[in-house]
Amino acid sequence: MNLPDVLSLFSLPFMQRAILGGVLFGILGGILGSFLILRRLSLFGDTVGHSAMLGVVLAALLELPSTWTLIGFTVAFGLGVIYLIDKTDLGSDTVLCISLSGSVALGTIGFSYLKGYRGNLLSILFGDILAISNTDLILLLLLLSVTLAWLMISLPEQILLTLNSDLAIVKGLPVRSHRYLFIVLLAITIALTIRAVGILLVNGFLVIPAATARLICQQFVPFLATAAGVGALSGVMGMVISGAFDLPSGPSIVLVQLFGFLAVALWCRQS
Amino acid sequence: MFRLLPSLAKSLNSMYQNLFFIQPIVTVKDLSVMRGEYLAVDNVSFELLPGTHTAIIGPNGAGKSTLIKTILGLIEKRSGEVKLFNCSGRQLNRFKTEIGYIPQKFPFDRTFPLTVSELVGLGLNTKQWWYDRKPKYRIIQQALEQVHLSKQAKQKIGTLSGGELKRVLLAYCLVVPRRLLVLDEALAGVDATGEMEFAALLNNLKQEQNWTILEVSHDLDLVSKYCDSVICLNRQLLYQGSPQDTLTPENLLQIYGSLVSPTCHHHEPTRRTESF
Repeated sequence: MNLPDVLSLFSLPFMQRAILGGVLFGILGGILGSFLILRRLSLFGDTVGHSAMLGVVLAALLELPSTWTLIGFTVAFGLGVIYLIDKTDLGSDTVLCISLSGSVALGTIGFSYLKGYRGNLLSILFGDILAISNTDLILLLLLLSVTLAWLMISLPEQILLTLNSDLAIVKGLPVRSHRYLFIVLLAITIALTIRAVGILLVNGFLVIPAATARLICQQFVPFLATAAGVGALSGVMGMVISGAFDLPSGPSIVLVQLFGFLAVALWCRQS
Repeated sequence: MFRLLPSLAKSLNSMYQNLFFIQPIVTVKDLSVMRGEYLAVDNVSFELLPGTHTAIIGPNGAGKSTLIKTILGLIEKRSGEVKLFNCSGRQLNRFKTEIGYIPQKFPFDRTFPLTVSELVGLGLNTKQWWYDRKPKYRIIQQALEQVHLSKQAKQKIGTLSGGELKRVLLAYCLVVPRRLLVLDEALAGVDATGEMEFAALLNNLKQEQNWTILEVSHDLDLVSKYCDSVICLNRQLLYQGSPQDTLTPENLLQIYGSLVSPTCHHHEPTRRTESF
């Protein structure tokens, strides 16, 4: 594809929406992912992501609107998993693996009961950022605003809570509500991201930009900003590469994130 | 005659309290705490008056950490009452910022992206943290100077030694006025020199800040040097009183199950009672 063709591609509304979507997903993933990796919940993103398969199948079986059902399902599932982690002595990785396997098994069985067109399995697994609608974008913007407001109100509290929850409790912070609110924000982000990049890649959006930022930053606020920046930048670059070389979009963005991470890791090693 | 003395002292003490309306900072009454199936703290009662420095001593597994974690609200109690600043439950929330806590273990990821001054700044309240930028940096810098760590301000916390980290946590307690400081074996994992330095620093700051201190300690030499009250705990409260009265060879024999070296009142930095 030559340059004028590529440029004309970016004048198309669906492509512009996809790029904006990529940037918003990147920023959200970077911010929430920063807390996710420091709180050692990386596997949590994967579990809730995979459970979304059950959510999608439930929406189809019950003929409910897919976006809202998926959001409701991931929030309920995320809170349920955290509740189980708090209430049992099994260890968080064990609880997460059990929930992941259980939900995927149930989802697959439910899928076999779906009548009629079933070709949307691939779209659940890999998503389609080009199909992103204006409603999705508005939801994303809303979610980003809520997330930023949440940080404005409680950033130092979130840092303390992430570093050492005992100090946070002694300081009188509402540790439990902070934890659950974070899970709700994370679950909604995952639900929206899945529609764009699919179940299999959603965790990359959360983990890779934050991991990259962690390699280079000494201070917390720059770390958070870098993670969001890396997420946004890889969203744009991934979309441009996918448009120019006619590659699937979600995987292109994740590959850009991955190469960015590797480049930074190598650079850090050398210096 | 001599047997009457402690009870006389006690009644004089309560008279003094009533006369001058001195409220205890910490009141623990009939406190029992379970750890799983095990009764870790059994019916413990005591009071701490403002400005006092109290050490809890006892063998491993005596429930020392459990006791102070319950006082701080980190562990649920089974029965009894804990009051801080004469408040409990929700009433206590507005006084929580006046409590400083230095935990025994401070596990964190060594690559956590946070500098020393950022950690100290987390001691401030959220409003100060966002808005008063200039005073905020001055307060943090001042706190770090007080613990002799101003040079490390920009260092990542993962690069600090055990002793330095404990001093940073002390600076975290210094950025807002505190009335009560609770230390859970703050010196665990710190070398002998660091231990002495920390104890001396704490003692200076205690007088300057007018702190009431409750600490768990294993070092009887430092306890007899700096504390004015000792609580001997082995699930139950065995003795409470001044170091001279409580740290007698007979009592130590009963608490630790073997006779503690008579040199325990002369400080030898390398020796710790843990090894008994």
